[in-house]
Parts: sequence; structure tokens; C-alpha cells
Amino acid sequence: MTALLEGFHMVMAPDVLIAILASAVYGLVVGSLPGLSATMATALLVPVTFYLSPIAAVATIITASAMAIFSGDIPGCLMRIPGTPASAAYTDEAYAMTRKGQAETALGICLWFSALGGIAGTLSLILMAPALAEVALSFSTFEYFWLAILGLMCATLVARTSPIKAIAAMLLGLLISCIGIENPAGTPRFTFGSTDLLGGIEVIPALVGVFALAEVMRALTQKDMPPIPHRRLGSILKGQWELTKAYPKQQVRGNIVGIIIGVLPGAGADMAAWVSYAMAKRFSKEPEKFGTGHPEGLIEAGASNNASLASGWVPSLLFAIPGDTITAIAIGVLYMKGLNPGPTLFTEKASSMYALYIIFILANIIMIPLGIMMIRASSHILRVPRALVMPVILVFCAVGSFATGGNNLFAVLVVAAFGLVGFTMEKNGYPVAAMVLGIVMGTMVEQSFVTSLIKSDGSVLPFLSRPISAILALCTFIALFWPFFAWLRRYKASLDAASPAR
Amino acid sequence: MRISDRVSGLFLALLGAAAFWGGSRLPPVPGQQVGPSAFPMVVGAGLIIVGILIALHIGRSFEEQAEAELAEHSQPDPETELYERRRQWLVLLPPGLLVFYYLVSERIGFILTAAFMIGVLAWAFNARRRLILPVALGGAVFIHLVFFKVLRVPLAPGLLPMPW
Repeated sequence: MTALLEGFHMVMAPDVLIAILASAVYGLVVGSLPGLSATMATALLVPVTFYLSPIAAVATIITASAMAIFSGDIPGCLMRIPGTPASAAYTDEAYAMTRKGQAETALGICLWFSALGGIAGTLSLILMAPALAEVALSFSTFEYFWLAILGLMCATLVARTSPIKAIAAMLLGLLISCIGIENPAGTPRFTFGSTDLLGGIEVIPALVGVFALAEVMRALTQKDMPPIPHRRLGSILKGQWELTKAYPKQQVRGNIVGIIIGVLPGAGADMAAWVSYAMAKRFSKEPEKFGTGHPEGLIEAGASNNASLASGWVPSLLFAIPGDTITAIAIGVLYMKGLNPGPTLFTEKASSMYALYIIFILANIIMIPLGIMMIRASSHILRVPRALVMPVILVFCAVGSFATGGNNLFAVLVVAAFGLVGFTMEKNGYPVAAMVLGIVMGTMVEQSFVTSLIKSDGSVLPFLSRPISAILALCTFIALFWPFFAWLRRYKASLDAASPAR
Repeated sequence: MRISDRVSGLFLALLGAAAFWGGSRLPPVPGQQVGPSAFPMVVGAGLIIVGILIALHIGRSFEEQAEAELAEHSQPDPETELYERRRQWLVLLPPGLLVFYYLVSERIGFILTAAFMIGVLAWAFNARRRLILPVALGGAVFIHLVFFKVLRVPLAPGLLPMPW
């Protein structure tokens, strides 16, 4: 109880409240601009979090990402251009509603069910994380090893591309994490005599490269969006309560799917929206209405993508395994601020964890009034020419990575290199999120791998003899061979179709 | 920048081989069986395997499925595709400008470097001509103010030091 009160006290500090408000506005604006994703908004925030107190730093990331995921829906509704990839799944549906003259309802659904979804996700975080922390306290390096490998394998399973390419991307990330002297023996590896590489590849500049610089590069080849038409919008929240009562099943299902996908490493809000939209269509009583401006899919997917945000923090806080790309960045900030992820975080820094829950709930509550203001202002904000925003972001990338990389200009080169790598990978079907996971988790995977091998004296048996590690190992092998079984089933089905009734 | 799977797969396999070889040459820790070479060698071996699988087009059917799903949600437009193809070499500009920042910002200072970067990129984005110069200078001064004055990042003064 005292920890809860202490948490309240921490959040109510003036600097934290200002940070929440400012990052809310920032997240709403950045998320609504097409081509600027929620992950990019988070990556560009990191240099600023350097100068904030730990709780304020975490608050900016939580608030900005939640707001950006919602406000990505705005240009989707009004112009049929998703503001962030997380809105892409239902942009057609939302725009169809707008064309039918229901822009207010579409925007209202996105706002209302985003906020509710965010709160549902937070509840899952509050319930799940401390319970799992209890279990995790008994984990040895063997369990951590399997957990890390399982996390990496999940990221390759959920990628919307070839699982083999996803594994390749993940291995590439692990290889990148090998660079430098941060390994169990402290030997310089793959530094090629460069002193800049001795410290390894810093995570934040690499993430700024793949998430921010690569977006700037992509925007250069794409056409500018058409000007947004002026539209007079009526009451945004009108009718939302009726919709909540009409579609309770869709909302709850969206929340649950979002929470599960959020917990899975490497899969985040965009995946949650795709899966939930498809699910809504599959289980709907009137699937023929989908695509014509029907609220059902919008409700389920909107409830899902925001729910995934909070649950993505569960593996991140417990095991330093990022639940999505946003928490991949957040983990770096947590370390920087002395809130090192791990099960002991929930016992030793309980008040900070309560503060984190309160910030999540607060952010989702203020999303409603601020979101309405943003929707009203969107016709002005969306007019800001991309040609002027993108160049400023480029300089932000340079200065931000310079500042986070210990005022070392080498970090700017890292951004440039990873921008190129990220862009090329994306174009060729290699999922960037899997590589990011490899980079973020590499050191931890190696440490648990090498320590376990030393402890077991080179034998494989201890890796499998403890009950929890055996279960985790089994899950890992299922994840590894799942694509093969999926392919085999499809192959058989196609054979059966080719030779009917013998 | 579409690269064929054969090329990217072989590249990854070669990278894996290099990592394996480089890892195997790392000095061991005296008195221990497992040293710094174990992990790079495992990762390198993995990269060799998946690289070869990719070069052999294994797993391609998953990609085709995802692409087909995506195609359902977007209609191809030949005019847009031509535009994208014509501008594809421009993607090298942003990383190039960052390398430029790395090379000259210490010497000529933050303001001039940043203004040049913003100006060139705004021009590449087809910004209106009369907006380019004010945005380049204004943007550079604004970022300098935020990072140098508020966040105390030591940005190089160079030829054009700011009064704050």
C-alpha cells in the first residue's frame, strides 16, 4: 500500500506531469503525420529522456507511443493514408465510413476503443507482470537461455514474411551484438582495429537508423500526399456508448488478442491490428459488410492495437526481452535510468512499477480529451508539408544519436549505416524487427549461453533437466519447426486439391 | 533496391562464413572450454545455413502469401511505380548527408552543416523554393537552441558560433 501511494506521489511530481502532457502532444502530432511511425516517435525521444528523471523518462515513452498509435488512425479515416503502420489494417474500412458521411463515428471508434484497449492492456500488465516475476525469481541461466531463444524464435514466427529470412535477420542482429569487448571474456571481437567499435554498436543509434532514417529514405521515393479536404466534424463521442454495448464480444476479443500479441517478442501494434481485423471478419455474422464502412472490424482492431502496447512491457520489464519495437527502445532507456529490467524490479522498485501503471492509465484517460482536440486540429496539422518536416528529422537523427552515443560523432555514422541496412532489408522481405531483437538481446543470449555451458561443463543435459527449462526448450523447438509443418500441411492440401477423389 | 534472393542469400552465407572463421581465431580464455569464440561461431554457422536456404528459394511461398494479402489492400498504380523507380537513387541522399555531418561538422560548425543538410533534403523533397532557405536556417538554429542550450549537448561552434 505504501508503495502504491509512493507511486502516486512519483507521478504527481510537476516534472512528470509536464513530461506526460508534452509527450502526449508530441505523440499525437508525430503519429498523425503519415510516414512517421510510433516507433520513430519513440526513437527520437530518447536523447530528451537523457535529461529527465527516471519516472519522467519512462512516462514520455509510454504516453507518446500510446498517443501515436491512436492518432495514426486520423489520416487513415480522413484521407485513406495510415499515419502509422498499426493503422494500415483497417484504413480502408475507416475511410469507407468517412465516405458514407460517418467520419465522426469512425474517428470516435478509433479514439474510444483505443483508450479502452489501452486500459485493458494496462490491467493485463498489472496482473501478469508481478505474478510472472514470482516465477522468474527461481530462474537460472538455463531458463534464461531458453527464454531468450524462445523470444527470438517467436519474432521470426510472427513476421509477415518468409520465416527463414526472419531467422537470417535475427542472426544478423546477434552477429552485430558480438562487435566490441562486451562479452564474457572481454576480448575485442570484430573491431578491425577501430577504437570506436571497441564499445560495440550502440543500440539507440542503430534503432534510430532503422526506424527513423529508413523512413526518411522511403519517403523520398514516395509521392506527396494529396491535400486534406476541409470537413466539418460533429460530436466525436456520440454513439460510442451504444457501439460499446452492441459489440462487447468484438471489443473483448480484440483486447485479448492484442494483449497476447503484445507479450510475444517482436510483434506489436501493427501485427495486433492485422490479426484482429482478420478475426473480426472471420467470426462476424455479417462478413459481407466488411470493407464497406462497417464498425465491427474497426472496433476489434482498434481495441487490439492499443492493448498490445502495455502488454509489450511485460517481457521487457521482466526479462529485458522486448515485446515490440517500441519497448526495444524503452529497454535501453530503462538501463540508462537505473531501472534495470528483471524480476527483482517488482520487489526492489515496487513504487516505480506502480508509478508506471498509473502513467499508463493516466495516458489512456487523457487520450480522450486530447484526442478530440487533435482530431479538430488535424486539418491544420496534416497540412504541414512533408518536405519541411523530413529534413528537420534528419538533423534530429544526427544530433540525437550524437548525444545518446556519448557525444561521439561515430554514432552518426552508425545511424547512416543502419538506415541503409534497414531500408535494403525491408525492400527485400527481411523483417527489421527481428534484427532489432537480435541486437537488443544479443549480449543477454550470449551471457546465458556461455555461463550455462561453463556451469554444465560442456554437457547438454543440464539445459534440459530442470522442469521449466525443459518446457521452454520444447516450446522453442516447436517454434523452430512450426513453419515446416505449416508448409507441409499446405503442400498436402494442394496435392489433395490437385488429385480429387481417388 | 531489390536484390535477388540468390544474391542476398549468398551474401549472408559468406558473412556467416567470415564470422565463423573470425570467431574461431579469437584467443581462448585459459582454463575454460568455452570462450569468446563460441557464440560468433554458432551464429556464423546459423547464417551459413539460412543463407544457403534463402539462395535456394526455400520459404519463398510464405512471402508470396504475405505479398498477396498485402496486394489485396492496395491497388497498383503504374504512374506511382514509375515515380518511385525514377527516384530510387535518391534514397542514398539521407545517409550521405549524415556522412557529410560526420566529416565536416567539427570544422565548419553545427549551424552551417545542419542548414546545408536541411536545405539539400528539402530541395530533394521538392519543397517550395522560397521556403528552403528560411527553413534551413530556422531549423538549424532551433535544433541548436534545444540541444545546446536546453539539453547541453556540446555541438561544435565552428565558423558560426551562436550567442547563447
